[in-house]
Amino acid sequence: MALGTAALVLGNGLADGIARQLTANLVAVQTGHLQVVARPGDFEPQNSPFDAYSPLRLPGAQALARRLEALPGVVRTAALLYGRGTAMAGGRSSMASIIGIEPEREPELRAAHHLQAGTFLSATGRAGGEPEVFLASPLAQKLRVGVGDAVSFVVQTPEGAVNSLDGVVVGVFQKGAPWYDHALYLSLGPAQDLFAWPGDATSIKITIEGGGQAAARQARPSIQALVRQTPLPGLDPDQRVLVETFPEAGRFAFSIMEANRGALLVLSSFLLAAAAVGIVNSMLMSVHERTREIGTIRALGMRRSAVVRLFVLEGLVLGTAAAGLGILAGGAAVLHYAAYGIPMNNTSLTWMAGGDRLFTVLTGASLARTAATIVALSILAAVYPAWVASRLEPREALHHV
Amino acid sequence: MSNLLACLLLAMAPDAAAIVKRADRAVLGETTTYTVRMTVQRPGKRDRVVEMRGFKKGDEQGLVRYTTPPKERGTAYLRSGENTWLYLPSAAKVVRVGAKQNFGGGDFSNGDIFRLSLIKDYDPTLLGEEAMSGEACFKLELRAKNRSVAYDRVLYWVRTDGSFFPVRAEYYTISGKRLKWLSLGEVGKLGGRLRPTVLAMENALEAGAKTELRFLAIEDEAKLDDRLFTPSALEKGE
Repeated sequence: MALGTAALVLGNGLADGIARQLTANLVAVQTGHLQVVARPGDFEPQNSPFDAYSPLRLPGAQALARRLEALPGVVRTAALLYGRGTAMAGGRSSMASIIGIEPEREPELRAAHHLQAGTFLSATGRAGGEPEVFLASPLAQKLRVGVGDAVSFVVQTPEGAVNSLDGVVVGVFQKGAPWYDHALYLSLGPAQDLFAWPGDATSIKITIEGGGQAAARQARPSIQALVRQTPLPGLDPDQRVLVETFPEAGRFAFSIMEANRGALLVLSSFLLAAAAVGIVNSMLMSVHERTREIGTIRALGMRRSAVVRLFVLEGLVLGTAAAGLGILAGGAAVLHYAAYGIPMNNTSLTWMAGGDRLFTVLTGASLARTAATIVALSILAAVYPAWVASRLEPREALHHV
Repeated sequence: MSNLLACLLLAMAPDAAAIVKRADRAVLGETTTYTVRMTVQRPGKRDRVVEMRGFKKGDEQGLVRYTTPPKERGTAYLRSGENTWLYLPSAAKVVRVGAKQNFGGGDFSNGDIFRLSLIKDYDPTLLGEEAMSGEACFKLELRAKNRSVAYDRVLYWVRTDGSFFPVRAEYYTISGKRLKWLSLGEVGKLGGRLRPTVLAMENALEAGAKTELRFLAIEDEAKLDDRLFTPSALEKGE
């Protein structure tokens, strides 16, 4: 029982850790707590990590972002431009996800990228006039570039023309999440030049005071109202501008979280069923071994209901003790992995955890839930042995050998 | 005096649009069928060789069908107006592809292969005369008429000897980077007239990469039905 409790605590710690990592990453890197984005009228998410991004133009996004920042409850806004293109250096080339950002407005995004070499983009996004490039380590390895090296980009602009940009690598990051292996960041200005979209972007990330889903939902109506009032000249009539909360925008991350929770539920069910069978078995053995004892107390006048209460109480004591021990052991393991992390050393694991290290999370709610489950299970499992004990006839029980 | 002579010669030269119009028809005529061998060269890899049968009608319609190697036989590209389709026999399906996607894994894009008329997409200016690949050439600058055209600027060299054979084209991005360059050479007699028979495209994305199109047969004045240039015909392999 104690072992089962510890396993449940650890399982919850893992699931909570995955959820926290994926959510924090989604909010910091892609969506903010809310995002303003243009979507096609018939938009269907592809269950891809890049679903949160839209390649469609949001006209006047930068100006709109500054207006949204004045709304109550909005901490910060940042325009973001996402596109695909080819990165090339020294005769080598690779497809790349090119993301234009406003570096001075992205402290969370900066913190979410582990710096391997160099620095993050500067506020101006230019080093000696050249656009700065902050790129993922696997992409840097593929192009064989490091800090200070030149890298060029070729894209097809949304209008159809081909454009290019020469930049200089200022930093290399290690993200862990495989979908960022071919990602790179530029400052928004050079990205707008590259895609020939001056002043525009593809989304606006909004950071809400307090964060969380409830705060995002609460802030949404005023943001929607301002977006509706703002003319967006050049927006394709087949497209609509949406204000999405991070769970809506990050369906992919949330589908991973749901899958993890589902797997944990199935695993827990087996664990709890095994524990319940164990409890029933051991208590039936206890009833069998204490048959004469039960017969004596029944002969002395103890009622059947009191016998039931006695055994159920025994189950409660057993369950509480097991829950306490399990929580101590499981909690210690969760705290250990919360501090040092668990290496996610293959691609499937990094996809699941959204990073190359998973830090577990210990929450009071999770501990309380586990303890309550174990105690409730112990009580329920004690009901049948208690009923069997209460059905014993004192005369027969006293003759039991 | 020499400056004056140069100016005089330039003034006597045909106008830029007329040069580009003539050059547009230098390799393939108005309505043409042809056989072409494409060789894709990649550093450190074996050359990939594909032979194709092509059909062209006016400036709007083009069709190319792979004939060898056997495993790629039947693969076909169709251009009709602004749209390009690809037919893969293994999938038995016609899919729409972008004009800027590369053609058959080489350095030409679909748009490069089916760019049926430069004069339609670009405004030309005659910059002067310049020797290129040992030939006296008109040097022209072509500026895209709008932002939907793939290359914002093209530098174009066309022979001045009256043949109007293009010798070289360099394609630039909006920011001014040279992205691709095309060399046209090996003038030979095909389909009853002289024309450049080899087109070689190189690009800045991959050093040492090159794709060569060698025309093996050309028949101008072919009679082609419009129904040939439809996605349904592409699927049927007609």
